[in-house]
Amino acid sequence: MRSPFHSEPEAFRFVLLLTLALIPVVLAAALGPTWLALAVLAVVLGALALRVAQLRMRKLRGLELPVKMAPPHMGSAAERRVLVVANDTLSEEALLTEVERLASVPRTHVLLLVPALISPGARLTGAVDSLLDQARLRLRTALDRVGHDLVVAGEISEADPLEAIEDTFATFAPDEVIVSTRWERAASGLEPRLAGLVRERFAVPVRHLVFEPGAAAQEPDKDIEARYRHEFGEAAARRFGLKALAGVGILAAVLMSMVALVQSSEREEARAASQAAAEQAALPPVATVVHLSVIPEYKRGPEGEKHDAFTTTEFAVRAGQPQELRIDNTDSVPHSITAPAAGVNIVVMPGTHTYTLLVKQPGTFLWFCTFICDEWAMQHPGYMSGYITVS
Amino acid sequence: MLVEHPDEAAGLAIASALRFAGYAVAVCPGPPGRGQCPLIGPEGCAPAHDADLVVCSLGYEREAAREVLRELRTRYPHMPLLVEAPSDIDADLRELLDGCHQLPAPATPEQIVAAVQSLSGQAAEEGPSGA
Repeated sequence: MRSPFHSEPEAFRFVLLLTLALIPVVLAAALGPTWLALAVLAVVLGALALRVAQLRMRKLRGLELPVKMAPPHMGSAAERRVLVVANDTLSEEALLTEVERLASVPRTHVLLLVPALISPGARLTGAVDSLLDQARLRLRTALDRVGHDLVVAGEISEADPLEAIEDTFATFAPDEVIVSTRWERAASGLEPRLAGLVRERFAVPVRHLVFEPGAAAQEPDKDIEARYRHEFGEAAARRFGLKALAGVGILAAVLMSMVALVQSSEREEARAASQAAAEQAALPPVATVVHLSVIPEYKRGPEGEKHDAFTTTEFAVRAGQPQELRIDNTDSVPHSITAPAAGVNIVVMPGTHTYTLLVKQPGTFLWFCTFICDEWAMQHPGYMSGYITVS
Repeated sequence: MLVEHPDEAAGLAIASALRFAGYAVAVCPGPPGRGQCPLIGPEGCAPAHDADLVVCSLGYEREAAREVLRELRTRYPHMPLLVEAPSDIDADLRELLDGCHQLPAPATPEQIVAAVQSLSGQAAEEGPSGA
């Protein structure tokens, strides 16, 4: 595919198009729910894919302006370099005779290029080696039969035939190309349309020679080449159309799944938020600051004697929410509010100070003073002990 | 080197001669019958963009060639242009050709190669900015 940064105006147009395409997506993301942004993104991507597919189909059907390219001639002006592209026809005597004839012309170099024709399926299943071995064997046999070691060379390629030829143009710079095929494509043979494709791309003479077993070489006329071109273009366009359709289907499925996922997660979040709000509303109210004191011999016990005590011993707090306690310890020694199960240990110093009571998990927890003071009061809730109720 | 020639065979013959003289070439038959040359459209023409010199023929589809020539002169005002031009051209074309290197049509591939070599020599003497 042609790079969008090939020239400054093209790069500018590409960036402008990208920005224009992103604006509706960003607006939808900023102003609407996530699913809307995804839907807009899907529309933008769909439009882009449609345009790319349209351009690709046009190219496959051969409506592009044909520009042929060729590298400079290699070697002296008298030298001639011929590239012969063949696969299954390498076993044909007529082709080998033609190669021999070319090689016998002074200052002519011949390169036999054998594309191994490895299909994507063969690559996936790992059946590459057998195809390469077949191509190697055909090439070796042909080179042995032709001779002329100094001027005839051979090359195997794993790449697509057209790509392989393109690569050879960079290294061998042929002055003429001969594409050898059958009349119709065989399983292990080159596509008859290949000659036309090479002719459309390269500014060197291209000969298409057709070999059938035991027969002399023949050249297809213009009508047959046109039929090859049409059939190949239509088949390629059909294949691409099916692939594009499958791609669009997959993209649509992925986007729909994402929209459904986002919607469901948004619904779940909203449900959790409303549930949390309802639970919060149902809880008893808690004071912002609780004022209390610790007073020695403050409260009479059941036996009639006075005991040390906190003036408030029941604390109601919310899980995870800090509760301020303003405690006036009128005693001359420290006391504490200690609840190991709740992770609470507040040391209450003599004088008036503010402390924070924070419990993370809900429940009811017993607290007590850990500083030795009134032993009876330390063991009895309502005196130097009590409960923290966390909701 | 870009060779713009409506006759494919003639274009290939010029390209072949240029290749053997040591130039890399691109050959384009120019805008087809009812089609539009990409050079005139917004997408532009990559071979024209990459070329150091353009060889152009006014021999056949003259109106199409006029458009291509105008676009080349506008988009790449500093690119050397070698034009194979017949003698019977109108004033508008003559004005467009002002400053171009011209060869009387029909020119042989050898004449074109000689002209290109002469232009390349000039460009080399003028330095990199001259090409």
